[in-house]
Amino acid sequence: MTIAVLLKQVPDTTAKITVSGGRVDESAVGKWSMSPYDEYALEYALQLKESGGGDLVAITCGPARASKMLTDAAAVGADSLVHVVSDDSGIDSSNTQSLLASAVQRIGAEVVLCGKQAADTNAGSTGPGVASILGFTCVGMVSEVSAEGGGFVAMRTSPSGNEKVSVSKPCLFTFDKAATEMRRPNVRGIMMAKKKAVETLTPADLGVTIDSPRVTLESHSAPAEKPPGQKFEGAESVPTVVSKLRDEANVI
Amino acid sequence: MPYDALDFYDVDSLLTEEERMVRDMVRDFVDNEVLPKIEQACREEKFPDEWRVELGKMGVLGAPLKGYGCPGLSYTAYGVICRELERGDSGLRSFASVQGSLAMYPIWDFGSEEQKNHYLPKMASGEWIGCFGLTEPDYGSDPGGMITRAEDMGDHYLLNGAKMWITNGTIAEVAVVWAKLDGVIRGFIVEKGDEGFTAPEMKGKHSLKASVTSELVFQDCKIPKDRILPGVKGLRGPFSCLNNARYGISWGAIGSAQACFDSAKEYAMSRIQFEYPIASYQLVQNKLSWMLREITKAQLLAYHLSQKKDAGTWIPEHISLAKMNNVDIALEIARVARDIHGANGILDEYPVMRHMANLESVKTYEGTHDIHNLILGRHITGIQAFTRSLE
Amino acid sequence: MEVTIIAETTGDALHPVTAQLVGAACSMGGAPTVICPGGIGTSEASTISGVVKVISAEGDCFGTFDSGAWADALSPLCEGVVMTSSSAHGREVLAQIAAIRDIPIVQDATGLESGIKVTRPIYSGKAIETSVVSPPCAISIRQNAFESPGSDGSSDISTVNNSSDIGVAVKEALAKASERLDVGEADIIISGGRGMGDPSNFSHLYEIADIVGAAVGASRAAVDTWDEIPHDMQVGQTGKTVNPSLYIAVGISGAIQHLAGMRSSKYIVAINKDADAPIFGVADYGIVSTWEEALPSLKEEFGKL
Repeated sequence: MTIAVLLKQVPDTTAKITVSGGRVDESAVGKWSMSPYDEYALEYALQLKESGGGDLVAITCGPARASKMLTDAAAVGADSLVHVVSDDSGIDSSNTQSLLASAVQRIGAEVVLCGKQAADTNAGSTGPGVASILGFTCVGMVSEVSAEGGGFVAMRTSPSGNEKVSVSKPCLFTFDKAATEMRRPNVRGIMMAKKKAVETLTPADLGVTIDSPRVTLESHSAPAEKPPGQKFEGAESVPTVVSKLRDEANVI
Repeated sequence: MPYDALDFYDVDSLLTEEERMVRDMVRDFVDNEVLPKIEQACREEKFPDEWRVELGKMGVLGAPLKGYGCPGLSYTAYGVICRELERGDSGLRSFASVQGSLAMYPIWDFGSEEQKNHYLPKMASGEWIGCFGLTEPDYGSDPGGMITRAEDMGDHYLLNGAKMWITNGTIAEVAVVWAKLDGVIRGFIVEKGDEGFTAPEMKGKHSLKASVTSELVFQDCKIPKDRILPGVKGLRGPFSCLNNARYGISWGAIGSAQACFDSAKEYAMSRIQFEYPIASYQLVQNKLSWMLREITKAQLLAYHLSQKKDAGTWIPEHISLAKMNNVDIALEIARVARDIHGANGILDEYPVMRHMANLESVKTYEGTHDIHNLILGRHITGIQAFTRSLE
Repeated sequence: MEVTIIAETTGDALHPVTAQLVGAACSMGGAPTVICPGGIGTSEASTISGVVKVISAEGDCFGTFDSGAWADALSPLCEGVVMTSSSAHGREVLAQIAAIRDIPIVQDATGLESGIKVTRPIYSGKAIETSVVSPPCAISIRQNAFESPGSDGSSDISTVNNSSDIGVAVKEALAKASERLDVGEADIIISGGRGMGDPSNFSHLYEIADIVGAAVGASRAAVDTWDEIPHDMQVGQTGKTVNPSLYIAVGISGAIQHLAGMRSSKYIVAINKDADAPIFGVADYGIVSTWEEALPSLKEEFGKL
């Protein structure tokens, strides 16, 4: 069984985001990391591989810098690495979905895991979109997944709590925060990872034509500054704050 | 929040990709497993066993050794590991230094094939802890005067004497002990449970509280004949171990200094006195700028030394200089950082007093600051000044 | 401009965001049709002002949430701009409808102008993105970001039967640990951090929550430290992103990841003993005090309201 995990490299969630000239300034990002929900997907992909065997392929779509993240994935146990090289600014979500779906098809994966959304765009379209293009069953908001019979059992959040659901192959899981954090690599994994080749593919290699994006980015801007708040000393100020919430803010 | 290390000259950009990945791995371990537990470990004077397990799982024990279950990383990577561990605590770095450089290294370099196969894989995985017995109650800087003796009894050796200030002693399964056999210093592997061997813990330390320090006592301790290290005679044995450990310390001290700098900077930015953050006052800025200067120099020193170590173009005096300098500035940075923290600096809510107390030990062990000065003095002048006799 | 809204439901009723979707559609000059999956909330939907017509989409597939099956069944009914809530379910269905219909998609809009110009927070609110997209397209909107119109409408309701194959089988439903309000749904949230000292002290937060009808949340530090605090209470980067009218943070220092999840709340109150805690940087009203001193007083004051 071939397992695919879709990963995205994003500015570390602790990184300061600055906007200059109407665009987020990527050169000011000090640290790039694997998107946190993708880390959960990778951990469960590793667990699926360990329990049932198979080949785990880590796939990313992004600029050249993203290749480092694939090496990180190899260090914890991804067997092969696929980098669909694209310039983030020239493609929209639909393009990304087509590229990733083609890459999944190319490696013949029957189960795909990814984060529920990336920590940069916060959209959450990629997973379900890829599932739809491939005709895979999509299970979202997953916190655990394991192989059972010929298919899978997953825990997902539902409006009333959690649901244990079963699905058969082919399928795609998008991960919410999971029960287990991604494992730390070890020295052996790191030393193996540097020997692992990254297969670099262009949209043309995948037979995908990138049309001009249908969602046109106009600008990025910094969020509106909130007016400075009021600070009070000591618990004796609680009545004052409550009356302000009632009379000034009108929220209670 | 992942740790953003002070690296003013971007020295880490000189590391290989692999070395940076190892750094990030250890950094993550320190952030998530060490820092949340370190103060508790110090209060209880315990080395948390889960750290041993995790160090073994990461594969950083005996990192620069090759074969026998050891990864064979560069000495640069080993330095980086020491730095990241010591950002957590000098006691944690001491554990790793002793295991890798002082216990595993002599077996790897001077041991028989059987000894290597028997001990090294289990020590690399952290299953067996090692310790190193050289210093004695009356022989510290002058180890050549050691009293501990081994006697050849035909089918076994008999060991008598005592060692002191032995990191990991009480918790170790394996002790590499240096003793005189017919007047010549030799290395012996002593195992926990060997008849006549005890390792009582030394309590009441104000420094390295999360590290186990012990005495090793040998009273007619019987050692099988195959436990002598065949490959080395004389002080060259223990000194070659110490060179590697001292090299690691020269990197490790930077970690402590970085932790103290970070804490001092953060504190200075948020502490308001006379209506403004104390970071806005010139006297405090002077201190912070001095710390930055010394840490940057120490980083360049350690990095260049690591390149010489990996290239094999180093001499022991290079290591003496780096150990001496980097520990010295780290200790002074810890003291100044404590000063910036004011009274808060003595609380274990901040790491500075802990690092300061730890570094007092680090300054003394593995060749005291003054001994390294004498090593360099001898190198410069050709005249040894360790003792008054000029033979 | 034709707009198709997939109604968001909660239990057997419409979720309030459905009316906000209608408001958002009308604000950019749209004439919205509301589709109610599983036929839930049709009569309520027909009363929302501005709704052109309501379609009751009935089919076996709506008994279980399978975003692919829902998208297959709903997609043929969609025209023009397809809109959903940016809830987890909303996003998932919308992404698949967009893929099926091959239309561009923008998720989690907090502002819409005719044209269609969409603004949305990115990097967890650390920046705002403005983009332009033309119909036909798919847009999901953030809850509480748009005004609801009145309820004096009376549009026609038609029924369509259109099911699809379900690929997801629910084996077991595990109810939430408590019947309490979910932080993702609540208009008032009171959250505790590691500064609460012990998970048992969250009882003080629950008491206050009960008085004002609030949900109780937690910081990641609290969730990670104490097993008693379940992950579904976590507000922040890897927890829930919330934007209630009032967010009260107690004993939460305000790690950047936590701020990412709650900074868009309308009003923020912070209670922390550390006057330098970053949480005060985003708070409208900060109280420098221990929770032990502040919470009894807060409970008393809320009780008087």
